[in-house]
Amino acid sequence: MTGGRGTAERGAGERRTRRKAEASTGVPQPPWGPIRNPMPPLELLDEDGLRRIDDTALRVLEELGIEFLNDAALDVFEKAGCRVDRSTKLVRFERGMVRETVARAPRTFRLHARNPERTLVIGDNTINVGPVGSPPNVSDLDRGRRPGTFADLTNLIKLNQMLTCVHHSGGTLVEALDLPADSRHLDLYRAHTFLSDRCFIGRGIGRERILDAIEVICIARGITREQLMAEPSLFTVINVNSPRRVDREMIGGLMAMTEHGQPCIVTPFTLAGAMSPVTIAGALAQQTAEGLAVITLIQLLRPGTPVMFGGFTSNVDMKSGAPAFGTPEYVRATIIGGQIARRWGLPYRSSNVNASNCVDAQSTHESAMSVWACIMSHTHFMHHGTGWLEGGLVASFEKVIVDAEILHSMRAWLSPLDLSDDALAFEALKEVPPGGHFFGATHTMARYEHAFHTHLIADWRNFQSWQEAGSLTATQRANVVWKKLLESYVEPPLDPARKEAIDAYVARRKSEIGQRGIL
Amino acid sequence: MAGSDDIVLADLSDQDLVQQMHDDLYDGLKEEIVEGVNILLKRGWTPYKTLTEALVEGMRIVGIDFRDGILFVPEVLMSANAMKAGMAILRPLLVETGAPQVGKMVIGTVKGDIHDIGKNLVTMMMEGAGFEVIDLGINNAVEKYLDAIAEHQPDIVGMSALLTTTMPYMKVVIDALKEKGIRDDIVVLVGGAPLNEDFAKAIGADAYCRDAAVAVETAKSYMMRKHNQRVAG
Repeated sequence: MTGGRGTAERGAGERRTRRKAEASTGVPQPPWGPIRNPMPPLELLDEDGLRRIDDTALRVLEELGIEFLNDAALDVFEKAGCRVDRSTKLVRFERGMVRETVARAPRTFRLHARNPERTLVIGDNTINVGPVGSPPNVSDLDRGRRPGTFADLTNLIKLNQMLTCVHHSGGTLVEALDLPADSRHLDLYRAHTFLSDRCFIGRGIGRERILDAIEVICIARGITREQLMAEPSLFTVINVNSPRRVDREMIGGLMAMTEHGQPCIVTPFTLAGAMSPVTIAGALAQQTAEGLAVITLIQLLRPGTPVMFGGFTSNVDMKSGAPAFGTPEYVRATIIGGQIARRWGLPYRSSNVNASNCVDAQSTHESAMSVWACIMSHTHFMHHGTGWLEGGLVASFEKVIVDAEILHSMRAWLSPLDLSDDALAFEALKEVPPGGHFFGATHTMARYEHAFHTHLIADWRNFQSWQEAGSLTATQRANVVWKKLLESYVEPPLDPARKEAIDAYVARRKSEIGQRGIL
Repeated sequence: MAGSDDIVLADLSDQDLVQQMHDDLYDGLKEEIVEGVNILLKRGWTPYKTLTEALVEGMRIVGIDFRDGILFVPEVLMSANAMKAGMAILRPLLVETGAPQVGKMVIGTVKGDIHDIGKNLVTMMMEGAGFEVIDLGINNAVEKYLDAIAEHQPDIVGMSALLTTTMPYMKVVIDALKEKGIRDDIVVLVGGAPLNEDFAKAIGADAYCRDAAVAVETAKSYMMRKHNQRVAG
């Protein structure tokens, strides 16, 4: 029985509505939308420095070559005039041909989601975020670290779907190890199309898994393969088995993607000291060479197919050999990787990564460093944007929320600053006397509720209040938040006829794969 | 602004009106609170019953939601202003009828310190809870406190400081109260960002209040004890 008298500045009855809003998800978030970077990219290296890296990369392509473990790919290169050694499967490239061929790739493209409102611009100054990809394990504070299951996978897809700072549904957010390896990609695609309305990643391991992704997305969008070719929906990540080796399965996936006009994210696996020279300059030259070789193949197969240049160069711990992320080496490599991608006119992918074993100061610090590198390098697709832990071996539910906190904050500060007369607030400055306060100023009264960014887990209470409430750390508060979000999850609408068709397709393919295995 | 949803306070039963006043306090509707207080008085409610059941109870709910982070500071400010408007009508009547008062407090920022935003929030919340607050402002020497105590005979003295360099001055004031032999007549509450319980104990204050909501709770509990002592005595 609240007011409804409407005589004051604030309508009565607000108490009830305010409480209702808190109760709906209990987790305040700004609306879904892209992150737009208003700053020019950071040019860490000058022209001479970039040229030296490029020259070394082109020398690697000319003199050393890249190994392609796939005869069809060797045929394509041979036809294009590359020097192909069939016995070693090494392909050597002439630099003029590489320049000419890579230049066919578009600088910018659109990635079409089944919900047109979730379609992404890849390129320009837009930062798109996708969740963690491919860890075998999952963890949360309640159940600890454990092998991933399909239930965990669907929960992670749902949780990310609830986050408005995540733009892409990702791929294998965690491996569903309780499902058969040959057919679990079908369950994955079905989960993405049913539980999320955003784009997802096809599994680029062999040709068939990609063809399945193409079929499922065509059904989900209600389009033909021709239309899909004109309006791509899928990503897949093509990793180079660094140093200088591209494996058969990945090329199979790459070819299926390219035939259908779907963009590959070509990402060499260049960890300095292990799979790359121990110097960042050398690792970047290698990353550039390997990336350009694979992108050349794509542009020879189907000129003009959209593609992304992926940067993943980091260092390893030279005492154990374990990968390190979010390090000064990683930040530097990520920013220069962006410069190199721009130099070649290609959209750029990098990642929000860390190597910590739990959600703690190290994971947060390394992630914040990584996200900063993404912003400064003008990353267009931030892979592993939420939930990555342990150098990619674990998908953590709490880390999803910690990362969302970082991403929401970054998006908020990157948004344009209001410089209207109203925002400059001369009248408010006039209203409050020297030494007074603005809590009750007319200007404040009209704006206080939405004046500042709202956080997911930050706690600003004084020490004693925080202590009385149980002394919860940010990680423990993140545990509360992901559960609230999952509880309030709502499945995005999808035409029941399309759902039925996807179910039928998945059932048919599972039976086929059951009989003769996957090719 | 008339509308079909408008509630006519005078048409409500006592119980519904009091409930409505709790909501209006929460929503910071000053005119409605003034109107509600007048209606209750006209219906023969005593000033004390009006104060405790309609206003203090309403502000207790505001205090809980402020403590729990549901309300914003500007909203509490509006609630407190509505409460003050109601108190302005009731205070002279309470004095007239000799009803027990909620309590009286002298508050100020200590000498050398001009940081008063926290102290102002305490003042606001204390007034919102029905206390009469004499605000001495900033940079107060011991004499200012003593003069104000002599003049207003408060139940409580509140001192605040933001600087570690000025907080020891609180002890100077408490020692002066002891010297004058009036320390035991007054409850001394202290607050400010660098303080803690141990400091409050060490200087001989009655309590450390970490924020405005706790200051009100603490003040109320001391007043309750005082009333009980009076009854017992």
